[in-house]
Amino acid sequence: VPKVIVCRCEDVTLRDIEHAIAKGNRDIEEIKRYTGFGTGPCQGKECVLAVANILAERTGESVPPFVSRPPIQPTALKYFARGHETRQDPPPPAPAAGKAR
Amino acid sequence: VADRRIAAFARGKPVTISLEGDPVRAYEGEPVAVALFASGVKVLSRSIKYHRPRTFFCLDGHCAACFMRIDGVPNVKGCRAPARDGTRCERQNALPSASFDLLGAADWLFPRGMDHHTLLARQPLLRPVLHKVVRELGGLGRLPDAPPAELPAVMRRHLEVLVVGGGPAGLSCAIAAARRGRKVLLVDENDQPGGSLFAEPGGSDRARQLTAQARAAGVELWSSATALAWFAEDEGGLLTVQTPTGLAKLSADRTVYATGTYDQNILCADNDRPGVVAARAVGRLLLRWGVRPGARIALVGPWSYADRLGPALEAQGIAVVRVPAAARIHGSTWVEWVELADGSRQDCDLCAACAPPLPASELARQHGAEVGGQDRAFAITVNDAGATSRPGVLACGDVTGPATPEVAATHGVQVGEQL
Repeated sequence: VPKVIVCRCEDVTLRDIEHAIAKGNRDIEEIKRYTGFGTGPCQGKECVLAVANILAERTGESVPPFVSRPPIQPTALKYFARGHETRQDPPPPAPAAGKAR
Repeated sequence: VADRRIAAFARGKPVTISLEGDPVRAYEGEPVAVALFASGVKVLSRSIKYHRPRTFFCLDGHCAACFMRIDGVPNVKGCRAPARDGTRCERQNALPSASFDLLGAADWLFPRGMDHHTLLARQPLLRPVLHKVVRELGGLGRLPDAPPAELPAVMRRHLEVLVVGGGPAGLSCAIAAARRGRKVLLVDENDQPGGSLFAEPGGSDRARQLTAQARAAGVELWSSATALAWFAEDEGGLLTVQTPTGLAKLSADRTVYATGTYDQNILCADNDRPGVVAARAVGRLLLRWGVRPGARIALVGPWSYADRLGPALEAQGIAVVRVPAAARIHGSTWVEWVELADGSRQDCDLCAACAPPLPASELARQHGAEVGGQDRAFAITVNDAGATSRPGVLACGDVTGPATPEVAATHGVQVGEQL
């Protein structure tokens, strides 16, 4: 059955994106939450620009990418399980004062 | 099936891997996705919802189309898994097999797609059954055969200059900075530095030259080291990098993102049909791995990379047809012909998606850099010295605006000389 696949990871079609827009979603974050596009293992590497282009065509406005969240590659949980360092080489400087953001 | 490999090509030693128990010829270090393609395997997996057949797409570790169960571990990228003697490959998300998947009925049962907001609503009698069906249809792989034997080591380091990405821009930037006396660490996710050069005619030689120059200049090179995330909250900010031996938590006086671009697909009906692969994946097959991608290849789309790929294919006696835009991809499992907007057809045995690529901006964005809007294809915004909107965060090459590898390398030198 012919389908235009926009997001390969989650099998989200062009029709799904158009349906989400027809339901009143106008923001790329809303479209992401409504359809699930960009939420698979590639995290939008193959779909975010395509959806932004579709949305920009419909709304006539420039569209930003959705917020990127860590990690950007599928990662086995074991890499984050230990938490503390087993080796320091060389020792890092004192953390900068205040929070980074 | 005839072997698609080009005879006169330097390879690792011959080994035997297996696909669901059947032996498959491979060469040591060749990605299993390449080995399976070279041996004529057409389907590597089934998709998550409609169980449509899938093969690799980008062959660059980014698109997740080639996930397989490898040596008992689910969701391993077939394009990144090197063949070793005895490597066991299995295809995921299929009942009973990826070649003939009964769950593929989902594609026919939902011709207009599934709306998961309403799929199970107002179905009180069917709901318990449907839940079981959905549970069987969905998901990605099964748990590993065994838990990890030990947890990966974790290391912490602070650097003067950290370059993320070892393509033409990152290598050139690291070389220029190291020649100015900077202490530079370059992390790159591939098994050897070079990045997009491996999809270019003559690019493998250029990659080796730049790598040798980087070593001579004193750049510390990490290969198979994948930058995963910028964690702003930790210790003033940490870039985490997965390495072959564990996890590295890195910070730096200056971090340069030279992360390049991601391959994009064309938008047309059945654009996910096996045999529709990224244009640069076709280049990598031929130039990096010495495998004939096809006998008649349709280059579909407007991206100028096609101007470099086409002649490289023709030099191997492969017929090339240029198609500006497709309406639909046809074929029983593998692509057989491309339907154009006017209804005419172009026969082919491979379709190279020539869509302009997407800058790989996520890490720089997590680190506070800003991107231009979608009219700039989400490229990182930089000044002449490569500085982004965030102090200490720089970018160079294709991630600041896709161009050619030569342009990226020149930009890398320009940014590196000001570090």
